[in-house]
This record gives sequence, C-alpha cells and structure tokens, in this order.
Amino acid sequence: MKFNTIIIGGGLSGLTAGLALQKAGKRVAIVSMGQSTLHFNSGSFDLLGYDAQGEAVSNPLEVIATLDDNHPYKKCGDVAALAEEAKALLTESGVKVAGDAKANHYRITPMGAVKPAWLTITDYATLAEADKLPWKKVALVNVIGYLDFPTKFIAAGLRRLGAEVDVKAFTLPELETARKSPSEMRAANIAKVLGNEDIVKRMAAAVNEQTEGGNYDVVLLPAVLGIADSALSQQLKANVNCQVQFIATLPPSVPGVRVQNLLRKRFIAGGGVHLTGDKATGGVIENGTLKCITTENLTETCLKADNFILASGSFVSGGLTSNYEAVTEAVLGLDVDAADEHGQWVKYNAFEAQPYMEFGVATDGELHVKKDGKVINNCYAVGSVLSGHNRVKMADGTGVSMLTALQAVKNILK
Amino acid sequence: MADLQINSESVFNFEQCLKCSVCTVYCPVSAVNPAYPGPKQAGPDGERYRLKNPVFFDENLKKCLNCKRCEVACPQNVKVGDIIQAARMKYSTHKPSLRDRILASTDFVGTMANRFAPIVNMTLAMGLTKSVMHSTIGVDKHRQFPAYSSKRFETWYKRNAKAQQAQYDKQVSYFHGCYVNYNFPKLGQDLVKIMNAVGYGVQLLEKEKCCGVAKIANGLYDQAKKHGNINIDSIRKAKEEGRVTLATSSTCCFTIRDEYEHILGLEAGDVRESMTLATRFLYHLLDEGKIKLAFRSDYKKRVAYHSACHMERMGWVFYSTELLKMIPGVEFTMLDSQCCGISGTYGFKRENYETSQAIGAGLFKQIKDLAPDCVSTDCETCKWQIEMSTGVPVENPICILADALDVEETIKLNS
Repeated sequence: MKFNTIIIGGGLSGLTAGLALQKAGKRVAIVSMGQSTLHFNSGSFDLLGYDAQGEAVSNPLEVIATLDDNHPYKKCGDVAALAEEAKALLTESGVKVAGDAKANHYRITPMGAVKPAWLTITDYATLAEADKLPWKKVALVNVIGYLDFPTKFIAAGLRRLGAEVDVKAFTLPELETARKSPSEMRAANIAKVLGNEDIVKRMAAAVNEQTEGGNYDVVLLPAVLGIADSALSQQLKANVNCQVQFIATLPPSVPGVRVQNLLRKRFIAGGGVHLTGDKATGGVIENGTLKCITTENLTETCLKADNFILASGSFVSGGLTSNYEAVTEAVLGLDVDAADEHGQWVKYNAFEAQPYMEFGVATDGELHVKKDGKVINNCYAVGSVLSGHNRVKMADGTGVSMLTALQAVKNILK
Repeated sequence: MADLQINSESVFNFEQCLKCSVCTVYCPVSAVNPAYPGPKQAGPDGERYRLKNPVFFDENLKKCLNCKRCEVACPQNVKVGDIIQAARMKYSTHKPSLRDRILASTDFVGTMANRFAPIVNMTLAMGLTKSVMHSTIGVDKHRQFPAYSSKRFETWYKRNAKAQQAQYDKQVSYFHGCYVNYNFPKLGQDLVKIMNAVGYGVQLLEKEKCCGVAKIANGLYDQAKKHGNINIDSIRKAKEEGRVTLATSSTCCFTIRDEYEHILGLEAGDVRESMTLATRFLYHLLDEGKIKLAFRSDYKKRVAYHSACHMERMGWVFYSTELLKMIPGVEFTMLDSQCCGISGTYGFKRENYETSQAIGAGLFKQIKDLAPDCVSTDCETCKWQIEMSTGVPVENPICILADALDVEETIKLNS
C-alpha cells in the first residue's frame, strides 16, 4: 500500500494536487476528513481581488508581483503559467469557466454586492466592470419559500447600478412539498428536487410564465441547479425564452459542490484512492523525512508514501486548531506562523483585517513544512493551511489553493 | 475538565457543530421526505433543545436511516447520526409494532423459515401474501423478500467444512450474520473456499447472535444489548485464542465495532480491532506478501462497485475495491457514492417505500445506464434493493473473488 504521494485534505487544493500528480502518472491517495469549504463557494475563483490597501485589483498578475515576500504566491514560480494550468485543469474536469489572470471581472454576491473575480463558471452572472451592468431590464426570479437568496438585497444592488429590476417567484408541486420542511429548503436540497429533465422542463415553463411579455434582457436565478454537472442548467437555458444567468446563493453552494463532485469523480476514475471521511491522526518523521501517516479508520497500518501534501485547510476545516494558549497544526504538530500573545490574535472591530486569518503552517521557499525548526524534505503545505495571506481581505483564497497545489506538484516532480 | 476549558471543548459532542450545514447536503432522506427535519436540526440543533426539555423530541427522528453520511460529511467530527439514534433511544415513546418485531427478528424468523424454506419462499413471493402483509402489518407489497435457504450455513459448515479446518496452521473466526446463515450460505462457503486456499482455517464463533442492527433500528434495545454481549464475549474468546473475527457484511461489522459502544453503551472497546471485514483482512495479507492469489484466465466480468453507507462510514471501501481491481478479468467502474435507500428494514415498511425508492433513484439510473454484468457491494440489504430496483445482479466482493479464483493454483502458491 505504498503511494507516490499522500494528500491530507480533499478540498480544492487537495484535489488539484491529486489530479496534477495523476496526470504525471503518479499513484496518489487523498485522506479527506469531512467535506470542504467548496461548500461555501461563490461560483467564482479568485486570484487576487484586493490589494493591501483594500482597493479592487484590475490586473491580478501585476499586483501579485508587488506582494510581501511571505505571501504564498511568492513561493509559486511562474504565477501566470500556474494560473493557466489551474484554469485548464478545471475545464478538463468539466467545470467550464471564463476569466483572465491579467484582468479581473466582477461577480454578484448573494447579498447583491459586486466583487472582483478571476474565473467564473460560465452560466453565472458577471460584469466586465464594477459599475456597469451588461443589462438594463432584469427579471430576478426566486423559488417561492427559498430564503437563502435575499432578493431584496440583490435587487437593491442591481438598481444601484442603474438596472430596472422586477422581482418574481415561481413554484412547482415538488418544490411545495420540499417547502414543508423550511429548515431543509436549502440550495443543495432544491437542486436534488430539481434533479431531472422532466422537472427542469416544467421549471423553464414556470419561469417563462413569470417573465412573459416583460422584454427582459436577462433572467437571474438562484444557483439551485445541477449538483452533478451543468447539464440541467444548460437544458434550462435552452428552454427559457430569455437569456438566463445564475447568482450564487447562501451556503451550501451548489456550484461549489458541483466543482468538488467533478474533480473528485475524475480523480477516482483516474485510479486515485480517495479515503472519504478518514482523518489523518499523526505521522512518523525520521531524519527530516515523513515516512508514513496514521489515520482514524485504517488503524492497522501507517500509510507510506514518497511525498506528502498537507492540504488540510484552515480553522474551519480542522487543519489548524487553537485553544487559549496556542495555534496548532492538527495532524503533525508542524511549526506555525502565529502571534504568541492571545491578545494579538484578533482585532476588536470585526470588519478590520483579523491577524488570525494570516496564521498558518510555516514553509520554506519550496513549500516544505517544518517541525521544531527543521525542514521536512518530502512534505509540502498548500492552500488555506498556509500562513501569510488573508483570503477575506485580499480575495485570494481559491487562487492560493490551486496555485500552491500545482507548485507543490512541480516541486515533487522536479 | 481543565483540558476541556483550555481547548474550548464541551463534554457534549454536539457543541462541536459550527452550523456550517454541510451535513444537510448529504442527507439522503431530507431531500425526498420533508417530514424528516434533516441531520442538523434532528442532531446537534435539536439536542440543545432536548437537553432543556424532552418535550422537544420529535418522533419524526425515526425517519433517519442511520446511514451516517452526515458524520462522514462533517468537517468537525460531530457524531450527528449517533446523536439522533441516542435521542430516539432516550426519548421515543413509540413502541415497536408486530411488524417491527418481525422485521427486526432476522434470526428467529430465519430459523423458522429455514425449516419450511420452499413453502415460505413461495408464499412470500405470492401477490396475495404481499398484499395481505401490506394492508395488515404494513410490510410493503412491492418488496421481494430474500429467499430462505433450506440448509443453514451453520449446518453446511458442520457437515461439510468443520473437520477440514484443523489442518491449517493459521486460523480465523467468522461472524457470518443472519443473511449468510438463513438466506445465502454461498457467501460463507466462498469465504471458506478463499481462506482455505490461502492456508487459513475458518472457525465459527462459540456463540453467534444477530448483530442487532435491525433491533436497534426498530427499538428493541434490550434484546440488542443481550445479543450484543453474547457476540462480544465470543469475539473476545476467539481473540484470546489468537483468532481475528472476519465478517462479510459491512453492516454487521460496523454495528459490532462502533454501534455497540456508541449506541448501546456496551463495553466492546477491547474487541474492536479483532473484528474486521474479510476484504480488509485479505488485502493486508496480500499487501504484506503473506499470501498470493491466482485467478482463472477465463473469468471476465464488468463490475460496478456501490459504496454501502456503513462501508463508507468505516472508511474501508478502498480494501474491497482494490481487491476487485486485482482480478485481471474484472473491468471495474466506481459508482457515485450514494445511499440506495433500503437501510435494512426501513425500506420494507409500507410507510417508507416511496421515500426509499426516491432516495435510490439516482443510483438506479446510474446502474441502468452503465448496464454492468453485476454490481458489487459489501452490504446484503443494498443487494436486495439494487436487484429489485434495477434487475442487475449484485454480488459481494468475496463471491466475485471466489468465482475468479484459480483454487488449485492458489493452493500451490501458498503451500
């Protein structure tokens, strides 16, 4: 049971690394405890949305060159080439995206705000410029009883940009049934209800009924279609009499789950071993080399590999933990970059850049992790577990996840 | 307690919940049956209320399949499924009906049915019987009961296999479970065939009772505990005599390893690691080079693997699928991991039939589109559900392995 590489973490960075290694013919296992933060994805991927002053970035590549040396991008050799590779990997896996690393576009958030993005799934509403909508007359159509798509906020946001917005809503008998459980009337469950061609046909008719005679430039719908792939959203688009685009909803995120499903499915079909729901619990380090890792479910063995990638995510995914005394890397107790004093972890004003957001695993220039000050030569950290960036303030989370994963793979294959 | 304070952990597991709602994406029930409040509400959210006042207990929690997919999905290790089962045990005032007792008593019913197997099988297959059971006790008329065997596995073993087992230096014990004993002895025979070929003798446990999964699901907790303790003692005895206990049913294995402690509160911690799945045991022997397998050159099969919920929860899908992939004649496809909807006795109940079939619909479609020669899974109730709903035959990986095995060559390789 020996692998070329074992990846701890099955989210965006872990799957990206897994697929890239598989492409190079390597035998890879992913140990994935619980589901990932892709479940909160916006339908877009960001590379760098804001600079250090909080100004929206129009050319991410240009600004990345000016970032601090401790930013993970500084450990990625050719950022432009890696960004292209990341985009290609998504496309090959069936995630159709549009966007350019040299020119951000804008997405619409579930709260009606406009934010910069690098890549967006092709069915989702985007703006080329932050203050200019591509449409004048908009029908914003929700599912009756669906609360995670606050149409008032979204309509207000669109109106601020000069659109004429009509808010509409539709339902179907199946959706009325689902609505009997208001707490479960969430995006993913609605996507399951709207999960076949017959009901999507009727959904299209219901949307047409709502928008008939309105001369709308676009129909905007909540992203509640297509957990497995984009087939049903394509079908809907073909059957609605007007241009259709989606806006991400509050979590759980249908586009995010779709991305994960497509990447994971490709990884498994390619022969990858996906240890779903298993938790890496520790490892054996000898002379600066990580020999093997233990997991909760495979109690009888220590899983061996030539290389390891730590893609375990930040606090929310359990890759980092904290108590009143310290911030700790959860699996191997690796060195972390974090303020010593508990008082310095947070700023009182919740909207300020929070110091803890930049806490994470310390790495050398090649993304090798360290323990007790010593580099572990075959273990790399990628994605949100890394220190040195604030994905909320800089909107660089998915970019860091994918690019550091691809860079770690290059370092392994070198 | 000081540690709990330092680590900001609660004594209540439900307080680890971050309210991220990821579990709700993976609940097979709430998507098709709005009467079920969903894993987050039924589990950690509801538990907070129930601790305040039991009046907040909702009998709709019985609609939970106990598939544990919420636990597999949880990024914070909240034991959502266990919380729900424990609440049912603690607060439910629902008494098991006659139908529930019959469905739960897989062992007793099996014993009776074996005696009159041809008559029982014919009667159970009759439309009239089905509609009577449907309208009187509430066993759904669409269901096909698994056929009962006229000879129990235990009887076959004692007459045909027991004497030969002593010749092997290495020994294992076998927890065959009700299904192998009463319905499908071939699976147990196949295991004996494989183990003997690689130089292992197979012993039965001193005493084996039903693992109790159906009793837990139907509220017969005292009986489940009583039988559980008998099984634990037997597995412990085998352990003391140096034998690991193998199972060929993922659910029996999961129940004994985890549910005995987590749900029934039995002391089974010391035997957990000596209870394992046959595919896991074989995989390790092969991986460590301790045994070798030779396969028939004329064996060809397109196999699609279905990850049973409890297999997924144990995290052992890997072992069964790797074994299947080792067979040269197997063309392997991995099905998407999703619940088939049967969940043991759940789908047999009239009130659950529609939910059960709606849950499995996606899986059935994928299987029909793929049209494999057979589906493989480690769970017997998934087998019934998939066979009934798709018409595609379903085989345990052990049966596929046994069919593909070149027995004589394997014996030579291992002697």
